[in-house]
This record gives sequence, C-alpha cells and structure tokens, in this order.
Amino acid sequence: MKLATLSKKAVIQALNNDGLRLKVGGFNVCLSSSVVAVADHLLGLYGAFDVVDHTAFIDFYTSIAPPSKLRRFFRANVNFSFDGHIPFKPLPYKQASALFEWGLNWCIANHSHHYLVIHAAVVERNGQAFIFPGTPGSGKSTLCAALVSRGWRLLSDEMTLLSVADGWVYPIPRPISLKNRSLDVIRDFAPDVIMGPVIKNTAKGAIGHVRPPDDSVNLGEIPVQPAKLIFPSYLKGSKTELTPLSKSRALLKVAENCFNYNILGLQGFNSVGDLVDASDCYEFKYSNLEEAVALFTELAH
Amino acid sequence: MSGACIITLPKNRLICCRFWDNECVLYNQLTGETHLIDDMGTEIFRLISEKTATRTQLLQSLHSVFEWDIDFDVEEVLDNLILQYQKLGLIVVTENTPA
Repeated sequence: MKLATLSKKAVIQALNNDGLRLKVGGFNVCLSSSVVAVADHLLGLYGAFDVVDHTAFIDFYTSIAPPSKLRRFFRANVNFSFDGHIPFKPLPYKQASALFEWGLNWCIANHSHHYLVIHAAVVERNGQAFIFPGTPGSGKSTLCAALVSRGWRLLSDEMTLLSVADGWVYPIPRPISLKNRSLDVIRDFAPDVIMGPVIKNTAKGAIGHVRPPDDSVNLGEIPVQPAKLIFPSYLKGSKTELTPLSKSRALLKVAENCFNYNILGLQGFNSVGDLVDASDCYEFKYSNLEEAVALFTELAH
Repeated sequence: MSGACIITLPKNRLICCRFWDNECVLYNQLTGETHLIDDMGTEIFRLISEKTATRTQLLQSLHSVFEWDIDFDVEEVLDNLILQYQKLGLIVVTENTPA
C-alpha cells in the first residue's frame, strides 16, 4: 500500500499513535509525530513509498516531538529521537520536517555498517551507477536533482550505500535536499519538479526538498554496479571540465567522504579499493547544468 | 644505513597495499591510517610487497626504473624515505649483521 492512498487524517492518526511505518530503500522506518507539518511533508514527498504493516521488522524507530508541552507554545521547538535516544539539540518547530530528514540520515550513517556509507549523491543510467562524492556546497545535490529531472534514476542524493559484501550500490531514494541558491537553480532548470515548502533560517540556510520520482522509489531495492566516480565542484562561471583522476587519489578522496571508513577498518579500505578499481574516476568542474547533464548522458552510453 | 640492511613490510599483513600505475595506497591496520605514496615510494613498496629486499637491492631496482639528473643524490633520498616509512610503521628495517 502506497502512502499516497492514505488520507491526511489517517496519516496524522498513524503518526500520533503507533507510528507510521514506511519502507525507505532497504530499511523500514517507523515515525511518530504530533507535528502536522511532518504529515504534510510525508504526504507531499513520500507518496510513492510503501507503508509496511505491523508485523514487519523495523530498522529505525524515530519520532519528532516537542520536548515538553510548554515548548509547544513558548519558543516552540522539536526533538528528533531514535529508539528513545535524542542525538541532537532541539530545533525550531518550523524545521520539524528538515529535522526528520537529517535524523534519518544520521540513523543510516551510524547504524548501517554492512555498507560503506559515502557522503555522495548517486544516480543510475543504463545500469551504471554514477557516484558524486562531495562536501556540502560542492553541488552534488544540484547535479543529482538536474540529472533525475531528466530521467536518471535516483539512488540517493546524500548517501551512497556500497555493500561491503558484494560491492554494489544499494539505493535509498528519498527527497533531494536543496539549499539556498540551488532551490532557484533547479526551479528554473526543471520547473516540473515537485518541491516541498522552503524551510528558512536553518543551520544550513534555506532548505527545500524535491520529491523523488515514483519510478526510482519503486526500484528502491534493486542495486546497481558502480561505474563512474565523479568529484563535482560547482564554480560560478567555470567551464564544464571533466578531468581524469588517478585511482589512488580517488581512493583517498572517497575515504575522506565516508561516514564509516574508520569503523570498517580493513573492510572499508578494501571496499573503497574495489570501488575505484571498478570505476572510471574524474574531477568535475561546472557551472552550467545543461552542459553537465549532456556530458554525463553521453558518458553513460 | 648499510647496504646490507633488510627492508620488509611488518609481519601479519598489517600493511595492505593497492597499486595503480606509479602510485599506491597503503592501509595500516594498526593505526587505521591510509597513506598515498607515489614515484620512488611506490617502487619501494612494490618490491618489498613481493619479497624482502636489502637497501642495495632497492637502490638497484630504483636505478632500473628511474632516470635522474647527475646531481640527484638517490641514496640520500632513499634513506630519508626509509626513515619516514619506518617512523610511520609502514616498514621494518633490520640490520643484517654477520652471525
């Protein structure tokens, strides 16, 4: 059953009672919340996701809730909790849906060590995974949103899950998080994308989320072989430049962008080594999204 | 450093190496550190990951792979590299003293 088949009333009821149980990629997530904006966020952006029943194993029990009844009214704020543990300081009430996304990122990055978790967007075309590792501001999510808007399959805009067991990339398609100027860039580039409300004044500035394509969500359990490892760098006014990168340097750059490389130890080193062995590695400078999409579409042929 | 001293990787496969062209990446299981090595260093690790080598053998191997300017002091550079790698725990240096 897809979330979109539920009424808003039913979603709010589930969030307020035992929690709403969603299949997100290979994970089952249970979310409880009394915050209506969270229900709106889910209905707007998670409509294509499957709701799982009460017998399903849940990987992450989460909640978004005010710390106290008083805090619903006075300087209203909300906490994210995972298994009853609150890993972050509370955020303003208006940032509840962004907090859910960040919290879920945290759950996956810290509790999924059967994967090498790389801070990277990843998309698929013709059976090939294009992985874009990068620090915030490198333009990986913008590039990812642009490619997805032109029919590429979204595997993740934030975390590439590389299986330690088989070296394939496992998808976790979720809303694409865009920040500040990227919001207008993608609105101009792809006016048809569905975007949730913009949340202003977060620690990262203004944040908006793009709804993942239904096709990508429906293929949420089908892994892809890695093919290209591309380190993007958005530079205003720069030419579109794709430069080969040595595999040794690519290995180091991937390791720097992993959440759990040190935790996995030798397994992490071998996984990154196998990834760069299996991939063509590049550095990529860009400022023009049309050129970037055309270049990668050509590269995927 | 004498030419007869023996250079090896630490025991128990503590150092894992991956080679690509003239570069390699080493993972030290003891420290969890990852090291990028290039040029001469890559040749050193390529050789000692296959078999134990003396300093003299390393020098011979480097001479067969690289061409240097006439004033380049390869022995000094090699000794410095060996010292650095030893400090990082990437290699073990044993003086080969006669019994």
